Amino acid sequence: MAILIDQNTRILVQGITGNVGSFQTRIMKEYGSNIVAGVTPGKGGQNVDGIPVYNLVAEAVREHRIDAAISFVPAPFAKNAALEILAAGIPFLVLTTEGIPENDIIDIVRYAELTGNRVLGPDTPGLISPGKCKLGVHPHQMLKEGPVGIVSKSGSLSYEVGRVLTDAGIGQTSVVGIGGGPVWGTTHEEVLKEFENDPETKAIVLLGEVGGKLEHHAAKFIKSHMTKPVVAMIVGRSAPEGAQMGHAGAIVEGEEGTAASKLKALKQAGAHTATTPHEIVEILQRIGV
Amino acid sequence: MKLLEYQAKKILSENGIPIPEGRLIEKKSDLADIAFPSVLKAQIPVGGRGKAGAVRVARDKAEAEAITAELFAANVKGFAINTLLAESAVNIEKEIYICCLNDKENNRPMVIASKEGGVDIEQLANESPEKIIRKRIDPLVGLMEFDIRDLAASLAIPCDKAFIAVVNGLWSILRSQDATLVEINPLAITDTGLMALDGKIILDDNGAFRSNGRLTEIQSDQKDRIIKEKSEPERLAETYDISYVLLDGDIGIIADGAGTGMLTLDLVKDLGGKPANFCEMGGKAAAEAAEQAMEIVLANPNVKSLLISLIGGLTRMDQVAEGIDAYLKKNGCRLPVSVRMCGTKAEEGARILSPHGIEAKADLFETAKMAVQYGGR
Repeated sequence: MAILIDQNTRILVQGITGNVGSFQTRIMKEYGSNIVAGVTPGKGGQNVDGIPVYNLVAEAVREHRIDAAISFVPAPFAKNAALEILAAGIPFLVLTTEGIPENDIIDIVRYAELTGNRVLGPDTPGLISPGKCKLGVHPHQMLKEGPVGIVSKSGSLSYEVGRVLTDAGIGQTSVVGIGGGPVWGTTHEEVLKEFENDPETKAIVLLGEVGGKLEHHAAKFIKSHMTKPVVAMIVGRSAPEGAQMGHAGAIVEGEEGTAASKLKALKQAGAHTATTPHEIVEILQRIGV
Repeated sequence: MKLLEYQAKKILSENGIPIPEGRLIEKKSDLADIAFPSVLKAQIPVGGRGKAGAVRVARDKAEAEAITAELFAANVKGFAINTLLAESAVNIEKEIYICCLNDKENNRPMVIASKEGGVDIEQLANESPEKIIRKRIDPLVGLMEFDIRDLAASLAIPCDKAFIAVVNGLWSILRSQDATLVEINPLAITDTGLMALDGKIILDDNGAFRSNGRLTEIQSDQKDRIIKEKSEPERLAETYDISYVLLDGDIGIIADGAGTGMLTLDLVKDLGGKPANFCEMGGKAAAEAAEQAMEIVLANPNVKSLLISLIGGLTRMDQVAEGIDAYLKKNGCRLPVSVRMCGTKAEEGARILSPHGIEAKADLFETAKMAVQYGGR
């Protein structure tokens, strides 16, 4: 097992005929992801690598059973496209798009909540269950199947840590990027819940960064609900107050946003804390993963 | 983008919210036709202007001229002042606080209000949280009349047409004009009705594509009024639109992702080095971004050692290497360059860099160590 997606997940790609969409679709398909349909308005009837393209999501769901979608739609059109996916009843949407207006993200996340569907992102590399399914843009050669779940705000940091784990012989059940914020469709906490319920996941690596309070919420959840070991690393320990460290959400504003306060909360909640990817490996080995 | 007060007030006024009569003062002669007493307010993008002495009352022209001369020579929180907003003083009966923003905690728009306006709201929230009214609004339903009545009741003020207009105006600026925050502090109850005495608006840069050029207009309008000393690398980073934060150390850092960038910074510090900056190339075209990032980071004369940290998710290493190669061929390099490279086409990338005497490594920790050692020489 893995969380959220596996080899049986039937996938729709939104924006499948664009540069990024068609390129990433090919890579996901080669990896073994079961992509059954694509959507681009005005391109219905074409196909991308043998995958049928539809004008509307509603048309695609009439022809196929679809469990998850990934959107490569540019920011100006992202809200309409995301709501189309959710309105069609597709239960899981990975929103890779960066630069969506904040009000649009708020609307998307609220509509997902109302329709009982899940949005991962925006501004996320997506997720991958190594050896089973890739619903995103990860450099999958750095990852392999195994017992550790990874949840990260940053894509690059999850590759970094995934790679060090893989080199040390520790594989992953799923690697999930939740995005750089400052608004998240799915939080660390919700992904932790999935890993806790996944019998194959033996331990979880939680990767956070400065800014916001997401990691504090995760700490509360760890304390009250997690039975599996969590190893946490927060980057930006040396970030100055008020500066934006690349991600829209990565700004230290007030005590709660600092790496130190997040690490403290996670430690108090019973998580192991690490300062380098190598230290994460040492901790995982020590606790017998 | 954070708006200057007069820009924010213009938008408030366009949305039916009363503001005091005022005019911009850019030179002494602009004071000729203003009424007294007058409030002179420095137009700089910082909070707490009152406490910093950047908001002053002038009783007559002579006093106004003296204050203007003083403010034009002053520097407040790093900003030089060249524009004042002169407003007619009003008779205040009561001051309240009101703000619409997107609350990231709950993913909802929210109206925040308090009976105590004109104060530092964050301080008030810390000291007397019970004095802050928070009202979450469902974005798909919108602000309803009952929400406004509820707010008025909590504020113990009449829910008259004027108040309804103010709250609706704030909501419209937030939701229909792509603000992420719109605040009136204080909203004054005066003998002539409600009036926004100060205004703060942050517009969402990501909404630029549908602002019909408004964002560009506002930006060019404030460009010559916001005068802050910027270092050469900061200026270049702004031009190239690359994420860059200047720090006070000597190890220059370039990364291809925000998360790895922060990790690299932390590692350098843990190893006893001092980062000179944070710089992340993001999702831009690899070769061009790499060349620009080199130019930005090396424009800081304090940099003694350069550390390039690449993980190669979406970016191809051969393309990044081409950018580094192009920079080095054009400009040479006065200092040691340590490169960590892995992922897509990393071998090709390493081959491109080797003629420059750069030996790309795969391990980040080892590469950071090397860069710190070079810096210490």
